[in-house]
Amino acid sequence: MKQPIMRTNRLNLWYGETHALKDVTLDMPEHQITALIGPSGCGKSTFLKTLDRMNELIPSVRIQGEVLYRGKNIFDAQMDVTSLRRYVGMVFQKPNPFPMSIYDNIAYGPRTHGIRGKGELDALVERSLRNAAIWDEVKDRLKKSALSLSGGQQQRICIARALAVEPDVLLMDEATSALDPISTSKIEDLMADLKQSYTIVIVTHNMQQAARVSDRCAFFLHGELVESNGTEQMFSMPKDKRTEDYITGRFG
Amino acid sequence: MRKTFDAELLELGHQLTSMATAAQDTIDLVTSSLSRGEEACAKAAVEQTTAMDQMEREIETHCMSLLMRQQPVARDLRTISTALKIVTDLQRIGDQAANIAEISTLMAADGLPSDVPGDIPIMSRQAGLMVQQAIAAYADRDENTARAVIHLDDIVDELFVKLKQELTQRIAKQEDHSGRAVDLIIIGKYLERIADHAVNIARWAIFCVTGEL
Repeated sequence: MKQPIMRTNRLNLWYGETHALKDVTLDMPEHQITALIGPSGCGKSTFLKTLDRMNELIPSVRIQGEVLYRGKNIFDAQMDVTSLRRYVGMVFQKPNPFPMSIYDNIAYGPRTHGIRGKGELDALVERSLRNAAIWDEVKDRLKKSALSLSGGQQQRICIARALAVEPDVLLMDEATSALDPISTSKIEDLMADLKQSYTIVIVTHNMQQAARVSDRCAFFLHGELVESNGTEQMFSMPKDKRTEDYITGRFG
Repeated sequence: MRKTFDAELLELGHQLTSMATAAQDTIDLVTSSLSRGEEACAKAAVEQTTAMDQMEREIETHCMSLLMRQQPVARDLRTISTALKIVTDLQRIGDQAANIAEISTLMAADGLPSDVPGDIPIMSRQAGLMVQQAIAAYADRDENTARAVIHLDDIVDELFVKLKQELTQRIAKQEDHSGRAVDLIIIGKYLERIADHAVNIARWAIFCVTGEL
């Protein structure tokens, strides 16, 4: 297995009294796609959001254990959330472009991080849109509103926006579940290209998608990590009966 | 959950068991035709293999449909991919039995005394038993039975070596009807191949349980 770029170590999370993540220890290797699977409410999205410290916005949340990004605990006092999110980007289930032009959507993050020069921003916007496989579709209408695009295009704009700050890790929370099969296929192809440069962690309810795109798979149930393994192993000969029952549709 | 898919998998198991029963019946028919020179049995065996061709197509179509509609993984995928492999071995068993039936018909027509060595019906019964147990191992997900079938193959192999020696000696003694001895060696070889296909089925039954090729 490749070296993990992110690793959780006995991660526990509570929403008030609800124990949502139980002692989760998981490695996410560099330049690989790790898929988090499990039934609704199993903790996989909570886990994903914890990697980006997005759960802290919820007042009742309590976290124990470690999330290590390149060996550093992201909960350490000296870790600044803004700079963490510079390295760990997130794409959500529903495309959520800002109500502004395509160009400004992409330039938003770099501007926040102090990049102001037009030439530099132009190059960054083009590079990000190309990397998100949408440049050819929008290059002639960069000043148009991002909201004028189709759902699949909007989601690729959101991916381009996440790439614009040049992160290391891309988190994708059911990023294709609201898209049609053609848009889904484009984003899955994009993931395969992106993993050459980025480490990707996805949450998906679509078992076929997990089997198609991921290198490793982690199965969550009731807040526990039941099993993590190479995807081929996971979908051909899972170790745990609960994993087998879930991926074959016997429950969930 | 998934009642339809489970019912379809059950039906697939029944289809394979029916085809395996047809294969065993065919082997029994050719054994009778050899031992007793009954031409009707040989004819029935050939007809049975035609029915098996149809069964093979139905099972393959069912497997393809399940792969397409259910996109199976894990044990479901192993069950269906194993069925696709087993059906080919069953078909080959039918073909070998039909070949024996054809030789048997020619033998009955030439008016010579039967003179079938005693090892041939023993090999035939042994091969039929192996087919039956291999399919039972697949249906019951029984790794131990499957491994036992693989060991049984040694007995058939030894019987074939013995048969070959006996028939070679007949030819060497320049007994009359050495062509008949060659036919009997070929029949022995077909039976030995039937046992090999039973071993293939047993190996797929083990894969179905363990996932190991």
